[in-house]
Amino acid sequence: MSIIKIENLKKTYDSNGIAVNALRGINLKIENGEFSAIAGPSGSGKTTLLNIIGGLDKPTSGTISLSGEIINDYNPTKLSDLRLNKIGFIFQAYNLIPVLNAIENVEYVLLLQGIGSSERTKRASNILKEVGLEKEMNRKPAKLSGGQQQRVAVARAIVSEPEIVLADEPTANLDQDTGSALLDLMHELNKKKGITFLFSTHDVMVMDRSERLVYLRDGIIAEDKTK
Amino acid sequence: MKIIFIMGWRNLWRNKRRSLVVISSISLGIFVMIFAMGFMNGFNVQMVENTIKTSLGHIAIHRKGFQDDMKLDYNFKITDTILQSLNDEEILAYAPRVKIHGMIRSSEASGGIMIVGIDPEKEKNISSIYDYTSKGDGSRFLTNEDEEAVLISSSLAKKLDLMLGDKTVLMFQDKNKEIIGVGMRIVGFFTSPIDSFDKFIVFTPIKLLQNITGLGENISEITIVVKNSRKINNIKQKLLTEINDADLEILSWKDMAPFLVSAVNLFDKMMYIFFMIIFITVIFSVANTLIMAIMERFHEIGVMKSIGTKPKRIFSLIMFEAFNLGIVGLASGIILGVIFIQILGIIGIDFSFYMESMRSWGSGSIIYPAVKTMDIVVATVIVIITTIIAALYPAVKAARIKPLDALHYV
Ligand SMILES: Nc1ncnc2c1ncn2[C@@H]1O[C@H](COP(=O)(O)OP(=O)(O)O)[C@@H](O)[C@H]1O
Ligand SMILES: [Mg+2]
Repeated sequence: MSIIKIENLKKTYDSNGIAVNALRGINLKIENGEFSAIAGPSGSGKTTLLNIIGGLDKPTSGTISLSGEIINDYNPTKLSDLRLNKIGFIFQAYNLIPVLNAIENVEYVLLLQGIGSSERTKRASNILKEVGLEKEMNRKPAKLSGGQQQRVAVARAIVSEPEIVLADEPTANLDQDTGSALLDLMHELNKKKGITFLFSTHDVMVMDRSERLVYLRDGIIAEDKTK
Repeated sequence: MKIIFIMGWRNLWRNKRRSLVVISSISLGIFVMIFAMGFMNGFNVQMVENTIKTSLGHIAIHRKGFQDDMKLDYNFKITDTILQSLNDEEILAYAPRVKIHGMIRSSEASGGIMIVGIDPEKEKNISSIYDYTSKGDGSRFLTNEDEEAVLISSSLAKKLDLMLGDKTVLMFQDKNKEIIGVGMRIVGFFTSPIDSFDKFIVFTPIKLLQNITGLGENISEITIVVKNSRKINNIKQKLLTEINDADLEILSWKDMAPFLVSAVNLFDKMMYIFFMIIFITVIFSVANTLIMAIMERFHEIGVMKSIGTKPKRIFSLIMFEAFNLGIVGLASGIILGVIFIQILGIIGIDFSFYMESMRSWGSGSIIYPAVKTMDIVVATVIVIITTIIAALYPAVKAARIKPLDALHYV
């Protein structure tokens, strides 16, 4: 069964009375273990699509199912649980809670899941080691570099063992080398642990490294190629 | 749960200056309130205690009618029944008095007064007149051996231009309504905390008055002081049943001074003004700070919600932050206020420079503030409740932030 199955998905925004068709009929399946990217120019609908997949936004029409379950009609509480337990998010920047240090940021998700304190700490520190932040665990986000912050965001996204990690332009605020290293990390996690990643990007480097490229243009899929 | 506490606490100190402003305004409000309440309370207690100590005692026994019309006609004999019931372990002391309206006259002036005949030794146990009497420069309290001796206040002496050792004439009606004048020598001066009392009362030995007026052994009142002032009403009831004399009235100080009771009640009510001030301070400062804090953290709250934080938890977080603001302000205000009041309670605040009129309230010119535990409890409850009320709207607002809107907002 596909992790994600999207059928004839449309999204129209109302921008001061003007209808903006951000998505105009998307059909897409994402399978377990994929390392895929949604590419396309700015304004093509990448963020909109990821937000709908992540349960942050609702489609205007069409269906979206996660592991076979249609989530279109989920109420806010169910969506919140879905985001907590089945999806990991990595945003472009400012992902972290500023008053919490690295390990607390990672633990936060486990706390929401109701996991006990000692297991929380154990899991969070293990994950932080995996993303190479063994020494930075007790630092607040402000004391971490952009790349380190994104690594914490990756750790937080995967610590809850979600079915899929959605990353909206995760390298856009990083320099070439840092972005590349971050991508290496995610790829390694994908290979080693089988975590499914779905990016949005207009960064050529990310496109090159992803295993499948879904190309959006004006809210429709222009190209979908698996390498 | 621990992380939520950590977040709440650290969020409080993110904008240190702002939080400190709120905390200090709450703290200052509480401080002012404790001070004002402590002051008022001290004022009330002193007003009551001074009145008890200078004139009323805790309980008095009179001939029925005396309280409304203090005439010599309302006199009574101290019976064995009365003596027996006064022999009670709850009663600290009692003393007889004779009271007559009259005039005092010097070569310069004259004035209406109340002449109070006292048993000098017994009086020491039930009132503070002895303590108020200056001892020195020839001034002294009355003794059992004194005959035509009178003790007057310094202010009355000044008014009438009388000196120690001077002779003065007291005029009053005897038992048969005959006006008599008695020459008396001034043996001492006293000063009580109650100005109106001083201007109106003179003391003389009870024996003398009883002889001159023809009262014999009869008296106008027995003034009683009890061991525990909280038991006044019980003791009064007990005396009523034991003495069981329809011709007598047994009154507590509250019965004798209803104006004092209403003054205390009025001052107590004025405390609500301070409660209102606190209420408004807390509501505005807490609500304002939280709204600003939430605006600043719009994106962050969006991230929190995106990764699955439920509105309820955001709500709790904001409430917890508000609670911290309130509690820290409250605690520091109480600590400062109580310390301050404790110190002032010992050294007192001297108002004699500013207002001689304080004395006319009967509180004395030095006020010793004293806090009531109950007032602090009320202040605490008020701050907590107002903090919750103030935080409710911002917390609901924060809980309802839509993650998508907030994520765009960096
Ligand atoms: N909240 C919104 N209200 C109105 N229009 C929006 C909103 N979000 C996105 N859009 C519009 O939808 C289109 C797709 O946007 P988006 O999904 O952000 O594209 P991308 O992420 O590929 O840059 C754009 O034309 C954008 O202006
Ligand atoms: Mg985008």
